[in-house]
Amino acid sequence: MMQTDTALEAALDALLLADASALDGKDMQGWLANYSEEDEASYICRSAENSENGLALGFMFDDCRSRLEDRVTFVNDIWVGTFQDYRTRHFVQRVKYWRVDAATISVRSNFSVFMTPTDSGITQVLAAGQYLDTVRLDKAGGLKLLSRRAELDTSVLPRYLVYPI
Amino acid sequence: MTETGLTWPKNVNEIPKAAFTRKDIYAEEMKRIFFGQEWHPVAHESELPNPGDFKTFRLAGVPLLIARDMEGMVRVFYNACSHRGNQLETAVMGNKTEFECPYHRWLFDAKGDLVGCPNHRDFLPGFDKSDYPLAQPRFDSFYGLFFVTLSAETESLPEFLGDSQNTLRELLGGDGRLKLLGYQKVRYDSNWKSYTDNDGYHAPLLHQAFKLLNWQGGKGRQFTATKHGHICFESALSVVSGPTVLKDDSLIAFKGQDPAVGSRIVSLFPTFVSTKHLDVINLRFATPVDEETVEVHYAYFAHQDDDEDMVRHRLRQSSNLLGPCGLISMEDASIFHRIHIGNHTPGNAIFQKGVHDQSKLESEFLQNDESGNLPRWEYYRSVMGFERAEA
Repeated sequence: MMQTDTALEAALDALLLADASALDGKDMQGWLANYSEEDEASYICRSAENSENGLALGFMFDDCRSRLEDRVTFVNDIWVGTFQDYRTRHFVQRVKYWRVDAATISVRSNFSVFMTPTDSGITQVLAAGQYLDTVRLDKAGGLKLLSRRAELDTSVLPRYLVYPI
Repeated sequence: MTETGLTWPKNVNEIPKAAFTRKDIYAEEMKRIFFGQEWHPVAHESELPNPGDFKTFRLAGVPLLIARDMEGMVRVFYNACSHRGNQLETAVMGNKTEFECPYHRWLFDAKGDLVGCPNHRDFLPGFDKSDYPLAQPRFDSFYGLFFVTLSAETESLPEFLGDSQNTLRELLGGDGRLKLLGYQKVRYDSNWKSYTDNDGYHAPLLHQAFKLLNWQGGKGRQFTATKHGHICFESALSVVSGPTVLKDDSLIAFKGQDPAVGSRIVSLFPTFVSTKHLDVINLRFATPVDEETVEVHYAYFAHQDDDEDMVRHRLRQSSNLLGPCGLISMEDASIFHRIHIGNHTPGNAIFQKGVHDQSKLESEFLQNDESGNLPRWEYYRSVMGFERAEA
């Protein structure tokens, strides 16, 4: 049991870090690859302030697989050359997880994201908050995100967002 | 009058960049504009739909508390205790029947009346609670949109809105019966005027998305309302023709009833921008933080008559289309920053598109004319007391 949990924890952490690595590398296909192929795969980025007041609106609201794919198109094709680019560094730490059923795990992690605009070169905090993830175990034993809600403590962003958090 | 020492260019289409960056001009703007004779939208009543609901907001630094009492009436208060001035409510929104100041435990009801204060026998002789309600700025509302003015001399709200009223009413769903979906809040590294100058006005050239989405602009008009230079856009709906690069094109679908009221923008002097585009209803409550920073609260709404599917559609479209991370607006946000950096250079910003005569202001414009902003700039110049150069 202990060994199984250790292996699972390592696999969950690998998934969290794969997402951080894809985002910091601006690798949107890599980001998408961390999500389940199921139609209902979703990514929602929303302030905790909205959530706590029963308001569903987000900064990003990709509530099906095709919207996740469109998010890749936004960044890779539609917005190219129109914005001041910035680097990010995502720091993520798993806080809690629990098994929902044989193929599903809920995970809560803290995150903080540093941002460094390429023009100013000054680093500041872009956002802090928590990821509320539902993770799917596929038949081959791999883990993918079925749903992720990036819930931001940062209710007032210091800048527009190009990349998902 | 020109103690700030800025001479305005002779040509009506030129704006001195120094007006965007100088601290002394910003301080003067606070006095003449934000504490002057203007109305500032601070909330729509649908943000506080139930008895006891409240919202707080800082207008040019001034803390406000907008609260609905138990009988359903909405009022605007200064968010400061009537005793020593301590900030009364710290939450940005919530539901309370009473507001208690923790400093000396003064207690106010949602009508702003002081209903309790411990040890008042030790206070001034003749102390009477009824003399100490929460103070209120002047406020008024238009189809549920609440405005505040910090000057006693400001004209009435209907006069202030003038010919923008009909466009604004249409934008507010026709009857103002809205339902709050939520907020996107952001600070831009931009002077408040760079923000308002560029948020309503959209350069289609900027929008790569329009091209990739096969998006044809709807035909429309742009006009100026009142001496304040409020800008109204009315256009039939833009439509997507042919295939798009999106896999889920419900993001850019229109499911509303009447395409004739498909697109509306009302930009009120000094900082308010509101828009109805496709099925997005968006009110942007913006306030200057300092001369380099503006904070914008994008509030999004459904209509009370919407069915569940329509609310869901609006929620998905509102989150992803027009805000600080929106498909067709993220690059606007970037432009606010870049314009502000560019304004730290000498000389004037020069408006071209739609300008026919550099000595004459017009009041009707084509949809994508830059010149629609010029009446507002002329009003700004006159309120600030900047003299135009002779030559």
